[in-house]
Amino acid sequence: MNLEKVVFGFFVLLAATLNFGFFIGNISDPALHNIYELFAAIVVSLIATVLKFGDRTQIGAVHLATSLVADLQLVAAALAWTYSAHIAETGLTPSAMASVVSLSGGALFANVVSVVLLVVETVSYHRR
Amino acid sequence: MGNPLLSFWMRLLGQDEDPGPRGPSRRLRRRIPMASAVEAEATIFLVLRRMRAPLIVLITIFAVSVLGLTLVPGQDATGAPYRMSFFDAFYFMSYTASTIGFGELPNTFTPAQRLWVTATIYLTVIGWAYAVGTLLALLQDRAFRRALALQHFTRKVKRLREPFLLIVGHGRTGELLCSAFDALGRRVVVIDIAEERIDALELGSYRGDVPGLVADGRDPGHLGVAGLRNLRCEAVVALTNDDEANLAVAMTAALLRPDLPVVARTVSPAIEERMHAFGSPTVVNPFNRFGDHLRIAMRSPASYQLMTWLESGPGAELPARGRPPGTGRWIVCGYGRFGREVTADLRAEGLDVTVVEPRAATPESHDGVSTIEGSGVDPAVLERAGVADAVGFVAGTDNDTTNLSMVSDARRLNRSLFVAARQNRASSAPLFAAMEIDSLLVPAEVVAHEVFAQLSTPLLWRFLQGVPQQGDAWAAELIRRVTADCGRRLPTVWKIRLNQSEAPTLLGWLRSGEARLGDVLRDPERREDRLAVTVLMVLRSGADGEECVMGPEDDFVLAPDDELLLLGATAARRGLDLTMLVDAAREYVQTGRRVPAGWLWRKLSRAGRT
Repeated sequence: MNLEKVVFGFFVLLAATLNFGFFIGNISDPALHNIYELFAAIVVSLIATVLKFGDRTQIGAVHLATSLVADLQLVAAALAWTYSAHIAETGLTPSAMASVVSLSGGALFANVVSVVLLVVETVSYHRR
Repeated sequence: MGNPLLSFWMRLLGQDEDPGPRGPSRRLRRRIPMASAVEAEATIFLVLRRMRAPLIVLITIFAVSVLGLTLVPGQDATGAPYRMSFFDAFYFMSYTASTIGFGELPNTFTPAQRLWVTATIYLTVIGWAYAVGTLLALLQDRAFRRALALQHFTRKVKRLREPFLLIVGHGRTGELLCSAFDALGRRVVVIDIAEERIDALELGSYRGDVPGLVADGRDPGHLGVAGLRNLRCEAVVALTNDDEANLAVAMTAALLRPDLPVVARTVSPAIEERMHAFGSPTVVNPFNRFGDHLRIAMRSPASYQLMTWLESGPGAELPARGRPPGTGRWIVCGYGRFGREVTADLRAEGLDVTVVEPRAATPESHDGVSTIEGSGVDPAVLERAGVADAVGFVAGTDNDTTNLSMVSDARRLNRSLFVAARQNRASSAPLFAAMEIDSLLVPAEVVAHEVFAQLSTPLLWRFLQGVPQQGDAWAAELIRRVTADCGRRLPTVWKIRLNQSEAPTLLGWLRSGEARLGDVLRDPERREDRLAVTVLMVLRSGADGEECVMGPEDDFVLAPDDELLLLGATAARRGLDLTMLVDAAREYVQTGRRVPAGWLWRKLSRAGRT
């Protein structure tokens, strides 16, 4: 068992699960989307990105790309939340919440791709 | 390609793919490896890998601090319970961690919050210090810096849009050659194995940008990065001190780019032969050349003077005309590679040679040359060798101090001696100048001049090859003409071809068969004057091969497609360009009639005439 692989798989999967946890629920209902979960998803996603640095293989490059996409989407979601909760006069309206959650939904898609890549990598490793 | 936009972009960006008239095939180019570029990329990946741990520590510390700050209970200005939002917490941590410290925002902190903030301040400072420290250490890393330099160099070479020379070895010779080509406005790319010699590139005041890389020329990958695969590479010049390395460079160039001219320096005849086994490189052996020059100087001092002057590059002073004695006995001190070459050349000229050599002589190695055993610095040995009744003396050891003291001893014994000496180090130049040596060999300069003559203008090289056959009087007359026109400093040497693109206005005149050289070279400002230009050679390629006219007189009749090698000041060059390109100037030069040059005046004068 390779500890590096364990840590890598753990973070990739955790990023996807946290993202899923935040995303699920009625898209416009602020009560169903915990902001702490979004925070955790961002932090774990950033860590997963850094773990993917410096891998020269083709699959490593795609891994890094999906992670960067997820980061971008999640940071955009965080910015949208900050804007509606702190800057906009109207506060956290259902439509604002919907845009935050849908942005995180995009990140979820990228995270799913990441997980699929992880599985593909593992399976092809056993076949070899 | 139906899309016009696509074809536009192809034309704009696809130039590199165009193989050109004499470019190598694509297959050949692909064979040249780019190993070192991959190495550079690997180093950058390594840096990213090493940054993983500090970055993760930093992210974790930040996350824990921000999360804690949102959870610790606080109170607002009215004393009501309040918790910081993620936005406020992130803002606070950002300015605290980066030691900017705006104070406690948005409300004054409670003691519980202050306790947490105290802990996070220490944590974040450690996290930042770790990350920044690691990054700085990596930037200082030798391998990383070399990788960066390599990438920078590769990019520069790739972006060169002019023809360039690839010079391997930036020692004394390389430096001389670089500045000579730079003065001509030619581009140069340099690689050298020693870091300080590449650093010297930045200190050298070159006009053009000279890309330089610390790399081993024996590695084909390094040569590939330095432009061997670039179609704009004109020639490869191997000038390192190491004969093996020069051989490797010549070999690499001959195998990977057989179309490129290669010039390599060597002092060993054995290596020279091995170089000739690969393609047809031009091999320059300074010791061999010195002997050849000595023989030319004996037969025709003026030819030798002219050749050395033209080889020295723009701005060089006319060298003094010395005449080595062509009869009598010569003494050669030091029978190494240099001594052997000189002795062989002198004997080929029919001269009597005595060799002085400290090492116990093996008879077969000296080929029957009379040898005195002993050191040339010992006056007794010199006396025994018969310096008193000799005519020439060669101090040819590889030690400058020894050479200088031998020359001084020999001069004391015989005042009228012709002295030739070998200068090994550039720093000894003032000492040799003070000794007033009659014929000085500086190997670095001999090689630099020779390579310059071969690569600057191919016509110049042909001209120099032809000079010795023309005789002494011819060369003396040519030197007189040039110095009368342009003074004792060498003006620029350039070539023109009398064809449609270079001399469009002259073609009609040339076809008439009345274009005498002296008329074409009239000053377009005042046709009574002649431009201060000397024509060294006219090369005419006809159906039956090439015809070469050395130093043509003013009544020589030019023809279309002639190639001319000219020598003259920049002002004269501009004058000639005017005649070749502006029809009005040509008309004035040819007939003496002033024709209006502008469109309006021409229309008006034509209207007035009809």
